[in-house]
Amino acid sequence: MGLREILAGRSTVKQPAKRDRLFALSTAYVTLESSYEITSAGVAGIVVQALATSDFQAVLKDTEEVVRATAGEYKATVETSDDEFGFRWVIIRDPAVEDLVATINGVSSSIEAGGYGERLLCAVFAFKGPSASAINFIYNFKRGSWYPFVPAPGDKQRNTERELQLKAQIGEELPIEPELERWFPLWGVPF
Amino acid sequence: MASKRSAFGRDGGLQARMVFTMFLLGLLYAVLVGALIAASASAVTIVVIAVALFGIQLVGSDKIALATLGAHEVSASDEPELHAVIERLCIQADLPKPRVAVIEARMPNACALGRSQKTATVCATRGLLQMLEPAELESVMAHELSHVIHRDVMVMTIASFFATIAALIIRFAFFFGGGFGGGDRNEAEAIELVILVSVLVYAISFLLLRALSRYREFAADRGSAILTGRPSALASALLKISGTIERIPRNDLRTAEGMSAFFIVPARAKNSMMNLFADHPPLEQRLAALSRLEAQLQSTGR
Repeated sequence: MGLREILAGRSTVKQPAKRDRLFALSTAYVTLESSYEITSAGVAGIVVQALATSDFQAVLKDTEEVVRATAGEYKATVETSDDEFGFRWVIIRDPAVEDLVATINGVSSSIEAGGYGERLLCAVFAFKGPSASAINFIYNFKRGSWYPFVPAPGDKQRNTERELQLKAQIGEELPIEPELERWFPLWGVPF
Repeated sequence: MASKRSAFGRDGGLQARMVFTMFLLGLLYAVLVGALIAASASAVTIVVIAVALFGIQLVGSDKIALATLGAHEVSASDEPELHAVIERLCIQADLPKPRVAVIEARMPNACALGRSQKTATVCATRGLLQMLEPAELESVMAHELSHVIHRDVMVMTIASFFATIAALIIRFAFFFGGGFGGGDRNEAEAIELVILVSVLVYAISFLLLRALSRYREFAADRGSAILTGRPSALASALLKISGTIERIPRNDLRTAEGMSAFFIVPARAKNSMMNLFADHPPLEQRLAALSRLEAQLQSTGR
């Protein structure tokens, strides 16, 4: 934020970063699978801050229709749900990671084209570790960066050690968020 | 696509008023500095003290304030809901996560402290957490995070820097009967002038700082609305916090109307909010601004 914005007390919501780094997962997952026994859980979701306006709802509806139409080609399924924090999830199930990434990209570009790019928060890709433990890779749309999120047993606990290991394992191929204080957990993921 | 974004949340007038207030403050402070230079020597000491105080204020004010408020930092496992709300707002605002603190008080309130985004602390009272719905809590926290984004602690500290100097000079003069420096008549006159200017600067800057603070509050309300996309949730939270939610009539109009005629002044505690938060704008104006934002939001894309 520049000096002018500070003096004027004017804030704007950041638009999404260029989405090319989203596609890094389409190649990085090969390493995850072959070297670390981390496989896709076949599901990914995109979190959108839903606005209670007719225009936004129309954009969202169009997006869902487009994604449903294209998902048919991939044999993917699409569903939506609202979480306890008032955010809308668009959930995509597809066994192939490349298809998941492509569909998530489709959803986000459609919402962006509708004029609501700043309402996109992040996309969550679910993976399974060696002992079937849950591992999430989260893509932050504003920053165009990835970070691992590993929930631990117990109420809203996370396994930071495992997350840091994952960063070391995949950091070469996946652009990982450098600032640890921006590795925001996402609770209540509806899948 | 671009038109949708810019239509929501624009208010050139507010920004113009804010910049004009800051300009007036700057002008006022220039007068004070001029008077200080005219009086030379003894005044320099005061400025040195003030700069030191300013440094302490800028670095340590948040810790002092947190301690005075009785706030204690809470971890994500202590307050999972509050943390989750703030985390999502941080993603949306592209902010690093601030420290989160709670004040064990029943009075609903919230504040943001810290001079930069990295050192920021957002604070809520227990009463606030208990009273508000999740969406309302989110909008109040977004208001506080907007203060962090706008660096309001820094802006207000710098803006009040010379007012602090003026206040110091007045106090100094009061304790020493204006006789510091001594010596010849010219110097005594110069010192009298400095004191006079200081009093004026202090009085006027007090009003200007209040105005600036009110504008910053409006800007934070606006920031919250833009961040959450829910201006009405903040309006609802403000109504709840101010206790004026009771003012939304629940009774039939006909039964209420008959009673109010017996009172010379309507039985409402209308001014209590203004006394409590004199550096905040009146609630009515904040609600009006939020309802304009909601109208803008609802009409986008039409």
